[in-house]
Amino acid sequence: MIIAGIIVTLLGFLVAVASLGMTASVSGRMILVLIGLAVSLGGIIGVLNPAYLKNAIWKR
Amino acid sequence: MRKTSSLLVIFLSLASFAFAQAPTATPAPATPPAAASSPAAAATAITNADLKGIAAPDPKVRANGDPNGDLTGNVSDITVADPITDKTPKAKGLTIGDIANQVGQNKIAINFVWTLVTGFLVMFMQAGFAVVETGLCRAKNANHTMMMNFMVYGVGMLAYWLIGFAIQEGGVGAVANLGGSPVLSREFVVTLFGKPFGLWGQGGYFLMHGGAYDVFVMVLFLFQMVFMDTALTIVTGAAAERWKYAAFMASSFVMGAFTYPLFANWAWGGGWLANLGANFGLGHGYADFAGSGVVHAVGGITALAVSMLIGPRIGKFTRQGKPVAMPGHDLVIVLTGCFILAFGWFGFNPGSTLGASGNGNLRIGSIAVNTMLAGMTGSFGAMLYMWLRYGKPDASMTGNGLLAGLVAITAPSGFVNPVGSCILGLIAGVLVCLSVEFVEKVLKIDDPVGAISVHGTNGLWGVICVGLFADGKSDYGGSWGGVNGAVTGLFYGDAGQLVAQLIGCATLIGFVFSFSFVLNWIIDAVVGQRVGSKAELEGLDLPEMGALCYPEFALKPEATGA
Repeated sequence: MIIAGIIVTLLGFLVAVASLGMTASVSGRMILVLIGLAVSLGGIIGVLNPAYLKNAIWKR
Repeated sequence: MRKTSSLLVIFLSLASFAFAQAPTATPAPATPPAAASSPAAAATAITNADLKGIAAPDPKVRANGDPNGDLTGNVSDITVADPITDKTPKAKGLTIGDIANQVGQNKIAINFVWTLVTGFLVMFMQAGFAVVETGLCRAKNANHTMMMNFMVYGVGMLAYWLIGFAIQEGGVGAVANLGGSPVLSREFVVTLFGKPFGLWGQGGYFLMHGGAYDVFVMVLFLFQMVFMDTALTIVTGAAAERWKYAAFMASSFVMGAFTYPLFANWAWGGGWLANLGANFGLGHGYADFAGSGVVHAVGGITALAVSMLIGPRIGKFTRQGKPVAMPGHDLVIVLTGCFILAFGWFGFNPGSTLGASGNGNLRIGSIAVNTMLAGMTGSFGAMLYMWLRYGKPDASMTGNGLLAGLVAITAPSGFVNPVGSCILGLIAGVLVCLSVEFVEKVLKIDDPVGAISVHGTNGLWGVICVGLFADGKSDYGGSWGGVNGAVTGLFYGDAGQLVAQLIGCATLIGFVFSFSFVLNWIIDAVVGQRVGSKAELEGLDLPEMGALCYPEFALKPEATGA
């Protein structure tokens, strides 16, 4: 799950960079970059952090 | 009659004051018309013949001293390119060229001194961070927290001197404010979407490689080094009270050598983010005047990665996951440290012009005022939020509100007006409180000093603010990021600038986080990031550092949580 979290987080960054080549319109790039940001945040908050919380010290 | 006259005088005075403050309908021309068109102006041009007639003060008069300074600093202080000597008795003496050279050197000297002195101010922020973080930790960890803040300066500097500076600034090219030396012009570039993407610099290792033994490079290194160290010291706060000292050393070294310089190259060193405007038409490219993103978000996001990796302190959460307050041991040094940081920020933001003379650099006054205003509204925002929500104006969160406002204004400080500064600072003050609650209650990540929220969340907010509040009035030599004109945000008509800023945020969250996480994951596997439970409960001063910070005080766990 940790590796998956890192991959998803990186994927969001790649989506944001890819927006530069996928469209020339400002609004199109804005939408793609926001999607990229959401994916990266999802990777950190939704995948990586829960993976660490599974074995959190306060749960032992 | 006398009354009428008095009223008239008052009216005229007020009217003249009002007209003096009112903006002119048309911008004043760069050159006064009279000087441009009058034939008399041409007649007053200085020639070399005039210069030969300028006499230096009589040495006999100078021998009597110069109590009011009239005699010190004159024509004899301008270096003559071809001084008359026994071997060259027919030399020209003082020429227009000599004066032009002196004027040029004076301009660069002003910029050198400005950049160095503001760099010294930023260096002093290390002391502010040290006492803020130590004060917010428990007394049993004070030596450990202080030592991390003390040695992060040395570890970071070593890494940056060896590797980091070359990666960040090795391809920056000529910096006009600092003399335009071309010695740092080796950027590793790839082509993507048909455009050049600068990825890292390749010149200036050890400050010797490739002609880097240069006065300009030394000034740039000092200034950039203290910025880098600021980013590193953010992490020590978030990981305090349970971070193994050896792991801290390794983590800080790789951050100073790779993580920080890489993103800094992309934003400030001629890398791809800075050129989003020139290459893809997105405003002026990613614009981060003094480092909300480069310094604070990089530090805050790395702090998030490390905090997540090493887990919370023992006792921070109940078995049900409810957070438990662990108050710091000294609010006096916390708030004193906040003042030290606010003072240092006058180096951070105005210093980022890299000069005080020419190229629109007189905006340093505006930048300094924006900085203090945003800090003020940030402290108000946090204090009022805590007061309304919890019934008391919490001191440590008010201090964090000040810092949040300062972090948020760091990127936009050179591009926004005072009203924009106040608004974004106020939002930052509230945002830091909401973020602290989110990190603690939702993410269940332990951050003893609130570094993730102050620097990470508000660093990102500051980056976005450039894309919103930049008013298009700044003019640093007529262009920014290779695009003519001033940086302008969405509220003033340029949505492309906001997209460039958001790509910067996506890079920080997506790339910098992942990169930091993987590096610290490797360190965790090799040396282990976290201290043992016994050492943590005892306090890290003795197990990790070998000495208590307060040996003459008996610590009472039941009363202080120490």
